[in-house]
Amino acid sequence: MESEGKQTGRRALLTAAGLIAAGGVPAAVALLEGTSTGSGRKRARWVKSVDHPTLGDKTAEFRRFSGDNIFEIYKQLITAREGEGSFEAEQAAKAKRLAGWMRDRKPGFRLPDHQLSEGAWTLMKSIKPGEGLLSWTRVAVNTPAELGVARHTASQEEMAETVKAAARLYGAGLVGIAPMNESYVNLRQAKKDIVFESVEVPAVTETKFVIPRTMKWVVAIAIPMDLDLLSRAPTSLGDAATGLGYSHSAFTVASLAEFIRGLGYQAIPSVNDTALSVPFAVESGIGELSRLNKLVTPEFGPAVRLCKVFTDLPMACDKPVDFGLVEFCKKCKKCAESCPSGALSFDDEPSFKTRGPWSNPGHKAWFEDSYLCFQHWQQVDNGCGICLASCPYTKAAQAWVHDVVKATASVAPAADGLIRIMDNAFGYGRQHDPEQWWAKDAPTRVRG
Amino acid sequence: MANDANSFTITIRKRPWWFWVVVGFWTLLEVLFLQTALASARESEYRAAAISWTVVGVLAAGGVLIWFLQGRSRTRAD
Repeated sequence: MESEGKQTGRRALLTAAGLIAAGGVPAAVALLEGTSTGSGRKRARWVKSVDHPTLGDKTAEFRRFSGDNIFEIYKQLITAREGEGSFEAEQAAKAKRLAGWMRDRKPGFRLPDHQLSEGAWTLMKSIKPGEGLLSWTRVAVNTPAELGVARHTASQEEMAETVKAAARLYGAGLVGIAPMNESYVNLRQAKKDIVFESVEVPAVTETKFVIPRTMKWVVAIAIPMDLDLLSRAPTSLGDAATGLGYSHSAFTVASLAEFIRGLGYQAIPSVNDTALSVPFAVESGIGELSRLNKLVTPEFGPAVRLCKVFTDLPMACDKPVDFGLVEFCKKCKKCAESCPSGALSFDDEPSFKTRGPWSNPGHKAWFEDSYLCFQHWQQVDNGCGICLASCPYTKAAQAWVHDVVKATASVAPAADGLIRIMDNAFGYGRQHDPEQWWAKDAPTRVRG
Repeated sequence: MANDANSFTITIRKRPWWFWVVVGFWTLLEVLFLQTALASARESEYRAAAISWTVVGVLAAGGVLIWFLQGRSRTRAD
């Protein structure tokens, strides 16, 4: 009888445990997942909407960025610092080193690795602002007038949801709507000025790019990078993640611009061209500005590529978000410690102090040394990406514990130091073996 | 526990409320780390998977041990 009594007690315990597991865990997960917000996807409750961005305070000094190509800036700087011909010499040494790695079959830099990256970049390398896929006027879609119907009308909230749904279909991982801010638009590109004029239709002339002043809305989009590839950075495989993200960006904004034109409105697709992407992404609530001086999203960390579409289609705008990132960045510094070139800031607090001509002055940030960053790029294939892979927010969304950790960082900044220690202890952010990527039965895209 | 040839009595001992809190917390941790162990392998985070499996094992062993020791002390009390 004693044993039967014990069995009954154990059964009760197991039943209780089962009920807790069956009901408690999904309840906790539901609490973490939360409800739909302006990001165009179901967001966790710990991602709070706020009225002003958590970082990025601006002063009167803030002005439109020149739009100069960052490689051109680097070329000018290295020439000034190390003498005429130093850039060309560096590029020649890089090409020779890469060829040697390919011949030696260095893991991550073999010919298939390099060409995988080149293939991933194809679409991005084939686009030009205002032309082809990135045309500022319609490419092929029929207008409502041609279809014999009136242009689509709905409330601004419904319009926003419609556009976000289309963006998600075309590849957006996160999408938000921000108001147009002319100060985020570059001064020029492709040796032409970018100007705002009181016209109805965007135009690209011999001398300028014309943005209609009626374009008061920006659809900001984050394309998740392939974490399986990015975790192999800094190699050609890591660079393939960047190329793929950009190529998907080009496809996404081109498709979305055509969709909007098909509804009867104007649209300008943009990847890295035309305007800064980060401030629009911050203001539309996609993420927060980080120690990387890049956007970090709650869902994908900094492992995203940003792009946007400017439009005159009226939509309800989203609010910025706060998920505790700035406080976390103050204590973490893992990206700065991981950066092989020492390009990232170790300062405890963000400031207005810029570090070179690549920085846009007049806003508060952790400014990076892009010269050192680009110099390191020349030592590897095309890009690095270690900082993106090492960030504790860069996690594949498979394990629930990642959400628990991010939620904790959001509501309990006192735990930030411990989270950083545990992130290291669990081995996150370390480079994965490049050869294992090819050894997989079927390499698949691991997205958050 | 009374017992004879024709009947027996089951004694159900009420456990303190905190016992169930501990059991619930233990179960949540087990489920969380078990899921982390399985998911980390899918994420190719093998170190995280190994640590999570270790935590799952230690928690399970600890739970069994406490349950066993509690059973022994209860038997002695009887």
